[in-house]
Amino acid sequence: MPTITIDNQNYEFEGRPRLLQFCLDNGVDLPHFCYHPSMSAPANCRQCLVDVGMPQMNRETRESNLDDDGNPIIQFMPKLQTSCSMDMTDGMVVKTHCSSDAVVRAQKDTLEFLLINHPLDCPICDQAGHCPLQNQAYKHGPESSRFEFQKVHKPKHVDLGPNVVLDAERCINCTRCIRFTSEISKSNQLTIIERGVKNYPMTPPGIEFDDPYSMNVIDICPVGALTSKEHRFGARVWEMSKTASISTVGSKGSNCYYWVKDNQIMKVTPRTNMSVNEYWLSDEERLDCDRFNKNRPTGPTVENAEVSWEMAYKAASDCLTGIDGSRALFVGSAYATVEDNYLLTKLATAVGAPTPVYLAHVEEGHADGWLKTDDRAPNSQGCERLGLHAADVKELKARITGGEVDVLYVLEDDIVAAGVCTAKQLKKVKVILHHYHTTNQTLPAADVALPAAMAVETVGSFVNGDLRAQRLRPAKSIAGVNRTLSMEIGKCRADAHGTPFDKWYNESNLVNCQPGWVSIPEIASRLGHEMQYKGPRNIMAELAESDSGFTGATYEAMGEFGVSLEPIGVTA
Amino acid sequence: METQSKAGDWRAFKRVLMPPVKDLHKLEVYEEHEGYAALREVLTTDKWDPTSVTNEMKKSGLKGRGGAGFPTGLKWSFMPPVDPDIPRFLCCNGDESEPGTFKDRQLMEYNPHLVLEGMLIAAYAMSIKTAFLYIRGEFADWITLMEGELEKAYAKGYVGQDIMGSGFSCEIVIHKGAGAYICGEESSLMESLEGKRAYPRIKPPFPAQKGVWGYPTTINNVESLACAPLIIRNGGDWYAGIGAEAHPGPVLYGISGHVNRPGVYEYPTGMLITDLIYEVAGGMRGGKKLKALIPGGSSTPILRADMIEGLTMDANSLRDAGSMMGTSGMLIMDEDTDIVAWLRRITHFYHHESCGQCTPCREGTGWLENIVTRIDEGEGNFRDLDLLLDLCTQMEGRTVCALADAAAWPVRYTIDRFRDEFEARCRPSLIPSGGVLENA
Repeated sequence: MPTITIDNQNYEFEGRPRLLQFCLDNGVDLPHFCYHPSMSAPANCRQCLVDVGMPQMNRETRESNLDDDGNPIIQFMPKLQTSCSMDMTDGMVVKTHCSSDAVVRAQKDTLEFLLINHPLDCPICDQAGHCPLQNQAYKHGPESSRFEFQKVHKPKHVDLGPNVVLDAERCINCTRCIRFTSEISKSNQLTIIERGVKNYPMTPPGIEFDDPYSMNVIDICPVGALTSKEHRFGARVWEMSKTASISTVGSKGSNCYYWVKDNQIMKVTPRTNMSVNEYWLSDEERLDCDRFNKNRPTGPTVENAEVSWEMAYKAASDCLTGIDGSRALFVGSAYATVEDNYLLTKLATAVGAPTPVYLAHVEEGHADGWLKTDDRAPNSQGCERLGLHAADVKELKARITGGEVDVLYVLEDDIVAAGVCTAKQLKKVKVILHHYHTTNQTLPAADVALPAAMAVETVGSFVNGDLRAQRLRPAKSIAGVNRTLSMEIGKCRADAHGTPFDKWYNESNLVNCQPGWVSIPEIASRLGHEMQYKGPRNIMAELAESDSGFTGATYEAMGEFGVSLEPIGVTA
Repeated sequence: METQSKAGDWRAFKRVLMPPVKDLHKLEVYEEHEGYAALREVLTTDKWDPTSVTNEMKKSGLKGRGGAGFPTGLKWSFMPPVDPDIPRFLCCNGDESEPGTFKDRQLMEYNPHLVLEGMLIAAYAMSIKTAFLYIRGEFADWITLMEGELEKAYAKGYVGQDIMGSGFSCEIVIHKGAGAYICGEESSLMESLEGKRAYPRIKPPFPAQKGVWGYPTTINNVESLACAPLIIRNGGDWYAGIGAEAHPGPVLYGISGHVNRPGVYEYPTGMLITDLIYEVAGGMRGGKKLKALIPGGSSTPILRADMIEGLTMDANSLRDAGSMMGTSGMLIMDEDTDIVAWLRRITHFYHHESCGQCTPCREGTGWLENIVTRIDEGEGNFRDLDLLLDLCTQMEGRTVCALADAAAWPVRYTIDRFRDEFEARCRPSLIPSGGVLENA
């Protein structure tokens, strides 16, 4: 196998990897700005310069020349090379800043150049704290600048499009954003204008940067030049905790981080998962914050009067006691987790009701073959695997309006908004509703309303449209004590818990809600059907064991990146 | 002194690139003077095939006239073997923008068909069916002229399909630049030709592997290509016998500055610089003394008057003296020249023309101009001179293309060779700069 020597240490490699990527993968922390693993390497920032040498070849014998000790003589290239554009070859010898003063000097020089026209407004910059320029300037840059002239002035707060704002003075011209629109999203909506030191990225005349993936350029921007119109000046990076979870606006299940401050979701950023969304998120996934924070209920209600959870559970179980199972209708939810739907199925069976159905939320023509999908709910596939099928809306409507239903149990969905029936038509029906929002249109008709934890507050799993089971992790806390949730939050936020903005200190904005895997067993136990689980982890373990549709989908196996499930007969 | 010249009996030299023929730019006059004869010989006789044309070019020892001095024949031989499914391109680089250089413009004005004929011969040698002539945007009149002459050549069947019944076809396209110095760099010329922003590409891959639109491409200077018909007509040995041995051929010296008769002069390589100034260009204007000269365009290192004694205009001699042949656009400065003001103008040029792709050049060129301007205005400090040299080190060899070097060399060598003049303009600095790098 070919070998390469980096800072006197030998590594083996396969294929022809790029030197910079290989260094990063092997723990050699080479500074860089313009390089991104998914895009071409223009080598324009000149930050990743290294000293590269090759064994000197004897032209006739085609073998390396050896020195007196029998070691190959290494001939170093006359100039430092950019490691991002350098293909590795067998026998290559590389000196980075760890072993070469020339490389240290070159990296320091480049940073000095980068900073002379950079406004250095870090104290008011959104990028500060997770800024590659800031970090690398501290690590590799000069301690001060020798530049004594006026900096170049360029346009500030330019609206590039509906979601992205540009501060051209901060730009270091790495062209990552331009390459993103030309190579990844293919919208070609950005280009560099002006020349030389006045360069900055801009849309062509008359073009708006309305690419549905435009906000990715905010993440890949190595400085604070591109910021989110929605989130800018919202929170400093050190005030937020981030939790690795998945996005729930569609059935793609893109991996993301939820950023939380004061128990509010502040922003959503992509989490690299090469099997799902790679490095990217669509704008609709990124802007999916407000619904977690706004219009949330304040507690359970019975007949629209706020009651304690105990009383609500009691009222719900009363509704289900002594009913004719065939006249009860259970509606599961493609918004709810596999675990919650599974418990609902068990509850339906316990009271003798038929298997629940779920409401499909399909918007034809929304999909773009990438991260946006027609199915706007995250877990339709999980429901199908549990044996729930998409309800025929007309048939449901006929059953409800025809008086065939005495008890309606709706899990985390809104059947009025879905057009099944009106709230008036539900007057004669006992309705138990798990809901997210006070704007839920079924709420006025609900006899018992139980606020449900949303995807950012619960533990559970979703199966995406590509049959991948992935875990949800709680990003924010709910009111009340739940040991499982507390433990999971602690585990998922190893980086940041304990800041004054964290729930450990700060109890503002806590929503009084319960995950389905708490409330459904509570109701079931009052009906005399004990569902003893120590938490969703055990529910999923049972499913993985007992249901062929979930074979192998334990929490341990899903880990950070999820597992692919086998196609099953029903859905195939 | 005469004996040191490598140009032989240069006074008897008969011009070949721009012969003294009236109206030579007209096709009929050009035809009367062996016009397109070399092309006809190459295309229609058995004596020549693509390999033998390339070999003749190699034999001639022609070094590219665009500034870098790379052997033209060798460059042609880098093209990969012909694959009928893969197009190949030739670019003739007429983006002449280096300050002090104006020879290609003259060549296109006085002998445009020699350039076109050279392009066709090069296209034949490399089996190329499309050739581009890239002319800088400021040369609007010359673009019109070349387009007119190209039309006539098309009408006569010298360009286009089945040239002279030989079965060889080659189209020539004239492309107008938009006025950027960086487009003279071969890889950014290709980007510009493709309609993109003229950012130089990283090499490798070289143009012969991946050029215009990713296909094999060769890029030659206007003057280099104009030599091709002469080499075919008279033989590589004839060409190799002209001028300096290691750097042969007739060359267009563009002499400008404080001389009595500035202009473009065709003489062999290896001319004594003193001959060029005092005899060819009619001596220093007003009888003043020579102070300095730039041998080949503003980016080549400046030479002091005391450094040119016995120095000849060829690559080896100039390299030994610490400069370069470049484009042989000579800039002559007399004793009254303010060298600091001159450097200020030059740094302004490179600042203005840096494309802004790579960090050291984008930021460094502006910084250099700032400091030189400050010195010129009498506000500089001694430490500024060392800072300038330091910035040059930070720029040289650290960028994608050579513009950073081209911008840094004038600063480095002007300070190096005229430091006393800079110091005279600077204040001694008693206060050390707070921000000097510790290992600077």
